[in-house]
Amino acid sequence: MTNADLMAFMPLIILAGGSVVVLLAGAVRPGGWLYELALAFVVAALVWTIALPANAVMPGLAVTPFSRFFAVFLDSTGLVALLLASGYNKRRGIVGEEYPATLLFALAGMGAACAATDLLMLFLGLEAFTFAFYILVAVERDSVRGGEAGLKYLLNGTLSAAILAMGIALVYCSRGTLKLAELALQAAPPEPLFLAGVCMVLVGLAFKLSWVPAHLWTPDVYQGAPAPVTALLSTASKGASAAAVLLVLPLAAVWRGGHDILWGLALATLVCGNLAALVQSSIKRLLAWSSVAQMGYVALAFVALPAGGARAALFYIVAYAAAGLASFGAVAVLSDGTDRDAIEQYRGLGYRNPLAGAALAVALFSLTGIPPAVGFMAKFAVFSAALRAGETALAVVGALSALVAVFFYLRVVVALYMRPADGGDAPVRRLSISESVALAIPTAAILFLGLSPSPLLDVVAHILRLP
Amino acid sequence: MADLPLLTILVFFPLAGGLLMLPVWKRPVAARPLALGVMTGELLLALWLYASWHGLAALKPILPGYLLVEDAPWIGAFGIRYTLGLDGISLLMVMLTAFSFCVALAVSWRAVGEKVGLFLALLLAMETGIMGVFLALDLALFYLFWEVMLIPMFFLIGIWGHGRRIYSTVKFFLFTMFGSLLMLLAIIALHLLHAQQSGVATFGLQQLIATRLPGGTQLWLFGAFFLAFAIKFPLFPLHTWLPDAHTDAPTAGSVILAGLLLKTGSYGLLRFGYPLFPQAAQTLTPLFYTLAIAGIVYASLVAFAQEDMKRLIAYSSIGHMGYVAIGIAAWQPVALSGSIIQMANHGVTTGALFAMVGMLDERAHTREINAFGGLWGKIPLWSFFFLLFSMASAGLPGLNNFVGEFLVLSGTFTRSPLAAGLAFTGIVLTLVYTVRLVQEVVFQTERTPLPLADLDRRELCLLAVLALLVVWMGVHPTPLLDLIHGPVQLLVGGAP
Repeated sequence: MTNADLMAFMPLIILAGGSVVVLLAGAVRPGGWLYELALAFVVAALVWTIALPANAVMPGLAVTPFSRFFAVFLDSTGLVALLLASGYNKRRGIVGEEYPATLLFALAGMGAACAATDLLMLFLGLEAFTFAFYILVAVERDSVRGGEAGLKYLLNGTLSAAILAMGIALVYCSRGTLKLAELALQAAPPEPLFLAGVCMVLVGLAFKLSWVPAHLWTPDVYQGAPAPVTALLSTASKGASAAAVLLVLPLAAVWRGGHDILWGLALATLVCGNLAALVQSSIKRLLAWSSVAQMGYVALAFVALPAGGARAALFYIVAYAAAGLASFGAVAVLSDGTDRDAIEQYRGLGYRNPLAGAALAVALFSLTGIPPAVGFMAKFAVFSAALRAGETALAVVGALSALVAVFFYLRVVVALYMRPADGGDAPVRRLSISESVALAIPTAAILFLGLSPSPLLDVVAHILRLP
Repeated sequence: MADLPLLTILVFFPLAGGLLMLPVWKRPVAARPLALGVMTGELLLALWLYASWHGLAALKPILPGYLLVEDAPWIGAFGIRYTLGLDGISLLMVMLTAFSFCVALAVSWRAVGEKVGLFLALLLAMETGIMGVFLALDLALFYLFWEVMLIPMFFLIGIWGHGRRIYSTVKFFLFTMFGSLLMLLAIIALHLLHAQQSGVATFGLQQLIATRLPGGTQLWLFGAFFLAFAIKFPLFPLHTWLPDAHTDAPTAGSVILAGLLLKTGSYGLLRFGYPLFPQAAQTLTPLFYTLAIAGIVYASLVAFAQEDMKRLIAYSSIGHMGYVAIGIAAWQPVALSGSIIQMANHGVTTGALFAMVGMLDERAHTREINAFGGLWGKIPLWSFFFLLFSMASAGLPGLNNFVGEFLVLSGTFTRSPLAAGLAFTGIVLTLVYTVRLVQEVVFQTERTPLPLADLDRRELCLLAVLALLVVWMGVHPTPLLDLIHGPVQLLVGGAP
């Protein structure tokens, strides 16, 4: 490993090292400036990635435009999640260094997964961040629901990890290599062992992306975890997992069945996610089911992979992340002292806490797919790719399920602005600067990317080496 | 002034005004005059464009028939451009939009007392959306504006409405989204088919019109467009959202709904639906006639049975828009001109009627027809204007609606005497419920003693302007017909 390689891998090293430093700092001075320290590490990694673009290769990992894109994406979401968490955790009595340290570790794990060049490193990256999330989900030790969520996530996650590992083993047995590039090049007619392996890998990833039928953990875990954790879990981990799918899909490209499996996953996810969200009365569960549904659109983009689906999927992931951060961020801000979870309890909050209310409403409009929010452009990209790939039926299902989505997203907007508040018009509480920034960043991103998606689309085309 | 991006200013000036509202958010005393200033400025700009359209038409057009065109690349990856264009039809709609928003502001000057800043900002945002719909020449851009205008209306009905406002506003939103989403797929499909044929990825209307489509595909795509526009129209039996939305909307919302939102449906059909898919449109014409006539008859009968004045006018809107539909279905110069003029006429008359019901509601806190009676003796000014606008709505010669209906029916007669004949019966039915309304409210003996004050100066000025327009458009419609003559000829495929 040369010096130049080291420089290129520095962002990952900063995050992993930062995690250790924060842990140590917490041991030395508990309750010190731990969140600020963690924030500094994330900003450093982010700035490094943007300011010093470099490519480098080491066994199992490679820094490429693709991995750098995801590094920027992941660090940005981590930044917002940290800003949200500092105040939230203080008010909920989640003290100590575990939280910021584990968050940095999760970011490092996700970064590694996106930079993987062989299946083993991909597995390690994925499991590293999933492991960090087991801790984060259950970090609120006194919360019964948090503990239950942690346990559910752990059990399901372990099962999926086992399936993933088994799949990788089968692929290795049949082809004798774990390198993704070599595996994709071997265009020989796929033998059953190899196909079984690829299918199991896909199933393992389907769990991480909450694709139906591997989605059942999602609502319970999202509801039980602290809202800032959910904000990160629903956005960054989905992004990293989508990147993993993009890395793995070329393996199944020569086989028609791969397409059919994805097709089925997309259909089931779109229908099931949207229908289940209809009947939720808890806002976190609603957003959880909505996240399932949104991943259905990502699956739809993957089905249309040969027709520009990858670009649509990446754009969709970024668009969803902005909306996810804004919506869970607003929920975090509005529910930290009160456990406000039922949609009914959000009545009139649009006036009582204008910034959080507006962020939530804008995020919901974006998730619905109504311009000028970026969600519209994202759906436009996905539908466009799907129609180009000839997946008309799936596109129509996608459009109709977006209509169903209008109904449940609007319920929240209606509560925010159209129903009288229980506590009169008195402000809920003043937001701290970090919370305001944490809400303003994704909200601004939703509107800016909605009106001017070209720069992001160009970057995505560049990293995918599209014309 | 010709170097200024006039169309862009026309579209985004109201939105900019809405953003200016932020500092005076909680001070109605400052917010109202600011909004009035912005809306008046917009109206003056529209009128200036009208005053200079002869001059503009004499210039060499960038696109045939268009007075002004602005074009810039927007989202290169998808081939979406920012293309705005103004021809006579758009100009008429732009004037109607700018004017209707002034009316909406005037009627809500006192009626809306809560969250005034938000209310005005939403109105201004909606003005931007509607202006965009009437000016966009890129299908993706059009769709964007088409959706954007929904959000403010959703909030206007939901926050300031009454009765079952939430039910109505969600229903309104769901209905429109249903049509829109399928239209979005159709727009993308058309774009892809065009790209396959010509190798050019574009959403530009002018280029897409040249796409050659097999009959079956055309029918599917037109079906999706038609559904979206017919829901907005609202064409029977897709109209059920309209009476609810109207009944529960605040007066300003009703004025905008009837005056403008319904027009975006008919405008979309004649600007995009028919020109893009001519054969499919021809195939579906009998269906279009049938639905329009059924709508006219049905809406008139239901209107007759209404007890709520606002609901009655809402149903009458469905009927009136039926004539617009018939004129478009005939796709013949005279009928089409009639339809377009009728769109403007209906905006003015129905806007005026909704405003007047709103005024009455402010005073009496009821809109039940049975609660009134004998208003002629009590509030003569109000009654006079109500009579005038009701007669205009019923199509009295010399007033504006007559011109539109006459042109529609005479034009349609050359294409389909049967459709024209059946549609004529609608006029009779319209007269029946209008006479009943006026008779019960204005002339009957008083039923409940209500302490009512006659129009104040603001209301009088507003109604006087509307009345002058109604008479002017009825007596001397030639300038408006001249304005749309060229574009209509181009649309139906003749020489301008």
